[in-house]
Amino acid sequence: MGKLGRKWSERFEFGFFTWPALICVAIAFYIPFAMTIRYSLTKWNGISKHPKFIGLDNFKQIFSGDANFANASWFTIKYALLYIVLVNVLAIVLAVILDMKLKSKNWLRAAFFIPYILSLVIVGFIWKFIFMQGFESFYDITGWDIFKLSWLGEPGPAFVSVLLVSIWQSIGFYMVIYIAGLQSVPDDLKEAATVDGAGPFRRFFSVTLPLLAPSVTISVFMALTNSIKVFDVILSLTAGGPGGTTYSVAFDIYRDTFQNNMYGYGTAKALILFVAVLIITVIQLTIFKRREVEA
Amino acid sequence: MKSNKAGRIVLEVVMILLSLVFLYPLFLAVINSLKSFQEVMTDVIALPKKLAFENYSYVWKYIDYPRLFLNNTIVTVLGLAGIILISSIAAYKLARTKSRISSIVYFLCIMPMLIPFQSIMLTVLQLAKDINLSDSTWGLGILYWGFGAPLAIFIYHGFVKGIPKEIDESATIDGASGFRLFFTVIFPLLKSVTTTIIIIDVMWIWNDFLLPLLMVNGSPSTKTLTLAAYTFVGQYTSDWQYAMTAMVMAVLPSIIVFMFLQKHIVKGVVAGAVKG
Repeated sequence: MGKLGRKWSERFEFGFFTWPALICVAIAFYIPFAMTIRYSLTKWNGISKHPKFIGLDNFKQIFSGDANFANASWFTIKYALLYIVLVNVLAIVLAVILDMKLKSKNWLRAAFFIPYILSLVIVGFIWKFIFMQGFESFYDITGWDIFKLSWLGEPGPAFVSVLLVSIWQSIGFYMVIYIAGLQSVPDDLKEAATVDGAGPFRRFFSVTLPLLAPSVTISVFMALTNSIKVFDVILSLTAGGPGGTTYSVAFDIYRDTFQNNMYGYGTAKALILFVAVLIITVIQLTIFKRREVEA
Repeated sequence: MKSNKAGRIVLEVVMILLSLVFLYPLFLAVINSLKSFQEVMTDVIALPKKLAFENYSYVWKYIDYPRLFLNNTIVTVLGLAGIILISSIAAYKLARTKSRISSIVYFLCIMPMLIPFQSIMLTVLQLAKDINLSDSTWGLGILYWGFGAPLAIFIYHGFVKGIPKEIDESATIDGASGFRLFFTVIFPLLKSVTTTIIIIDVMWIWNDFLLPLLMVNGSPSTKTLTLAAYTFVGQYTSDWQYAMTAMVMAVLPSIIVFMFLQKHIVKGVVAGAVKG
């Protein structure tokens, strides 16, 4: 085979191996993404043949006075911040305890991990049942006011419910990441700190936590990308209620498009969500990467 | 050291109690799925007086459980097979080829990891209708190829870089090339990453809700398990015993699989997160 022929056959093979993936990724992401950009510039109900081009009007309207979008954004930001902090703090605490030499640690790890393998929609329904029916029975037994509260029927408690159920479902995932991180902290480092006279808390904050930084980066990143897109659990738990107070951005987009038939308007919001996620993830990754210490 | 040991026992007991409270909601779901309507309404906590297995036979028939199970299996297996195939070959070639085109293609393949599904879901549906992939179980499985490929390519790519090039070269001398080289020599070496990808993707596709909701919600015959459970509860808002039965039936396969493959699943999830 001549040199030229060989080069061509290499190119041919390169194409043969990579085209299938490229085509599938284009169908899943790039073509829909391009369509999103196009429709975001139109007024369209999703049915008529000709979307009407209206330039940036959708964006102007969203930013100048869309109360739904503003509320949903506010909800999503509050939810994401609390979720990221709480789930990570709790998961680190759990991981530190389960990293000790407890007899039941295998059972404990499995127990806290189980909800993570379940579908969020189903988890939402099971908790809806607990909040609506279970709490009534709990109140009959304990008489505690906390069980008498309308957990899904009032804005404040409903927000807490969504947060609580999300954390319940996913804490096991973050826990196993932190356990894996803890196991890579060398024991001699921990021992050295004990010899130096550091108590358990000092030891945790000045030795273990800094070395856990890579796990923190991963977990915060995961928590961020998941919480900013929150949808499933809200759909089954509160369906956006009470009074529309638990609509997230993703749910708001869904409502505009499929329930209100504002297709062009919904895609414009979707595009804003994309840009927001992109900016936040890039910032977060740069900050945390800089903070990591070498073990 | 004695107080230390006592402390550890206390901690152990506290943690076990905590784990039981943690799993209590699931336990309540199970016992209430076995009660009559009356019993659920009067007391959620009490154990069922008589096990109402008829709830299960009713829901089983009503939602056509075997059909849903089959649909879920088709979507998951088809999706997974495609993701593994297209991602492993692409990642292998991309990791082995040093050129500008190769870097660009690699970038194009993994970049979508930053696109949230919610921001393209509307047009994905539109496109799927245009190319006839919507309203079909098989179509849904095929759609997952593109959605799963970026992460899989990313993980495979990192792993292939660690396999010495000499292995390819010696196989080439033996006369193997192209796909044969890949599938007989390289693919077996990727076993551990393939397992990781299978675990992450099975959990994702099996439980996925939003994409099936958009794609296959039109007809009962194409629904997935989670989707059917969701619709079912929508129709039976006050019949909690049936709702809980449907919930338990929807989550039971996952829990059974988890009990058998627990170690692998946890390991795979950690590996996937750390590499991703």
